[in-house]
Amino acid sequence: MADQRKSWRDRGLMLATLPVSALMLFFFLVPLGLTAALSFQSTKYYRVVWSWDTGTWIDVFTHGHYWSIMLQTITMALACVALCIIISLPVAYALVNRMRSVENHVKVLIVFAFLTDAVLKTFGWVLFLDRTGVMNGMLETIGFGPAATDILFNPGATLLGMVYNLLPYTIFTIYLSLARIDRDLVLAAYDAGASRLRTFWEVTLPLSRPGVIAGGVLVFVLSLGVFLESKVMGGGTSPMAAELIRQTFETRVNWPLGAALTLVVIAIGVLTLGGAGALFLHLNSRKGTA
Amino acid sequence: MNEKTPIIDARSIDKFYGGYQALKQVSLSVHAGEFVALVGPSGCGKTSLLKILAGFEDLSGGSLTIDGHDMVGVPSSARPTRMVFQKLALFPHRTVHQNIAFPLKLARRPKEEIDRRVGEMMELMHLRAAYATRYPAQLSGGEQQRVALARSMVSQPSVLLLDEPLSALDVKLKKSLQAEIKRLHRTVGTSFVHVTHDLEEAMMLADRICVMRAGRILQTGAPSDIYFRPVNGFVAGFIGETNLLPTRIERPAGGLRFEAPGLSCAEPVLGTDQAAEGLEAGEAALMIRPEMIVLSKNAADDGECVMEGRVEEFFIKGASIQYRVNVPGVEAAVVAEVPGTSQPPADVGDNVRLSFARADLFVLHRD
Repeated sequence: MADQRKSWRDRGLMLATLPVSALMLFFFLVPLGLTAALSFQSTKYYRVVWSWDTGTWIDVFTHGHYWSIMLQTITMALACVALCIIISLPVAYALVNRMRSVENHVKVLIVFAFLTDAVLKTFGWVLFLDRTGVMNGMLETIGFGPAATDILFNPGATLLGMVYNLLPYTIFTIYLSLARIDRDLVLAAYDAGASRLRTFWEVTLPLSRPGVIAGGVLVFVLSLGVFLESKVMGGGTSPMAAELIRQTFETRVNWPLGAALTLVVIAIGVLTLGGAGALFLHLNSRKGTA
Repeated sequence: MNEKTPIIDARSIDKFYGGYQALKQVSLSVHAGEFVALVGPSGCGKTSLLKILAGFEDLSGGSLTIDGHDMVGVPSSARPTRMVFQKLALFPHRTVHQNIAFPLKLARRPKEEIDRRVGEMMELMHLRAAYATRYPAQLSGGEQQRVALARSMVSQPSVLLLDEPLSALDVKLKKSLQAEIKRLHRTVGTSFVHVTHDLEEAMMLADRICVMRAGRILQTGAPSDIYFRPVNGFVAGFIGETNLLPTRIERPAGGLRFEAPGLSCAEPVLGTDQAAEGLEAGEAALMIRPEMIVLSKNAADDGECVMEGRVEEFFIKGASIQYRVNVPGVEAAVVAEVPGTSQPPADVGDNVRLSFARADLFVLHRD
């Protein structure tokens, strides 16, 4: 850990990472700076006026509407994180401990699902769940009557799409930290008299925490940028920050406002990452050199 | 539990992994308070046997009782055994105190009792009280070892199983922990079953040694039996170096007559107790331990048996000097270990006489 912190002192390393650093600086920080600059302008007749004032920001902070959408986004993101972790833990545990023989096949299938374009998958859900879709058709033929399931076009459907599309991140991060747990630790717990459930609770779960935290952070940050699911599956019933920003740029053609809202979302993401990082460091420092 | 009933009674245990048979008809009994070592090269089945005793593996055939209870189908959490793992398996996310207390916590002992017994264990294992709040990664290898022993012993199991816990340590630390384990065994009086590939370690620690090879127990006996009365060349060669001379034996009533090329004895007859069990007349191997041989350049101090040869090489080992002597008629160089002196008694190329007492010979099965 101490060595990692000193990496910036290593000139050779700095030189070696210079191309990547320059690339990141140019294509990441410069646009971010431009976005920040843009948020201090105003619009007139759908054109950006270089006025350098704080009007847009006052607008952002005084309109509760924007913040209720932000809150809705964070709530959805947190719900998504919770669901992803709850679903991924048993899946990853089964992958590591119960499905040794088919482990690689299952991993390949998850990767295939993961790499399939999100737009296709999301519309796939619509085709499947729609009132005239496959599932309703089947339920109708076995006698559940028309529209047995009417679960599309509401916030729940948005959440379903989000969890579905983001699940692989938590499955794989948790899988990796579970796979790293020494089998002997589990045996040692059994040997000391612990039941399987107790062993999971006392040994497996605490040791999988790095994966849970990493996966949770990834899913949370990615959830903040979700717009496809809320549009296609939520049917606009659950406006999310990303959709708000898209509309502000494209429909309302208010670029300064869009830029300001973008910065708000980025700030939420950065704060979350920072908080999770601090939590992680704290947990690690308690463990000493481990 | 009286002295006669074994605390572990394993009978004719078979263990299959798929089509591979790891254990073949293994029987082992361990008495209360006894220290038994399972020794053998890797893949001999010693760890499989230990895992079966611990309950991590099921047995494919045979029977196992521990403490008078049938153990078939009993999970490790319900067995009166504790294991010390090869890689220790200390919980990295728990302090030394929490690690040692874990078995007591699972047994729902009251907090005062847990604290008291953890304290006692730490004291017994010479762990400083200040270590209680440290994490395993903050301790040295030897200290971690002591914590692992403390965790295994804290709930006073009937049997402690040790799976080569010393194999990863450097020689000096290993010696001090061997002494520690021996002391712990004397103090607590629990039965220990110790798996190791190091027969020297087994000789130092155990009351009884089981030498295993390819899933079978070759010989079970006291350390001196294993060393001086090995059943075959494999057991004999497992510790240190030894000389095995091909021989032909005859067994007239009440004695044993042998004949080995390169070896001349005034009276080539041995007592019946100087042969491995079940040895028939015919081809066999004659064993003489290197340290039993007297090496000299003159014929004056001959023993009962003599071999003559030429020094091929010698190694000064400090406490002793090892000679390798080519004896006409004997294929492998004969090894003699003589007490170390500043003046080696013979040089390379010298003709020497190797003499020894008849009583130091032992006849065993040829491999």
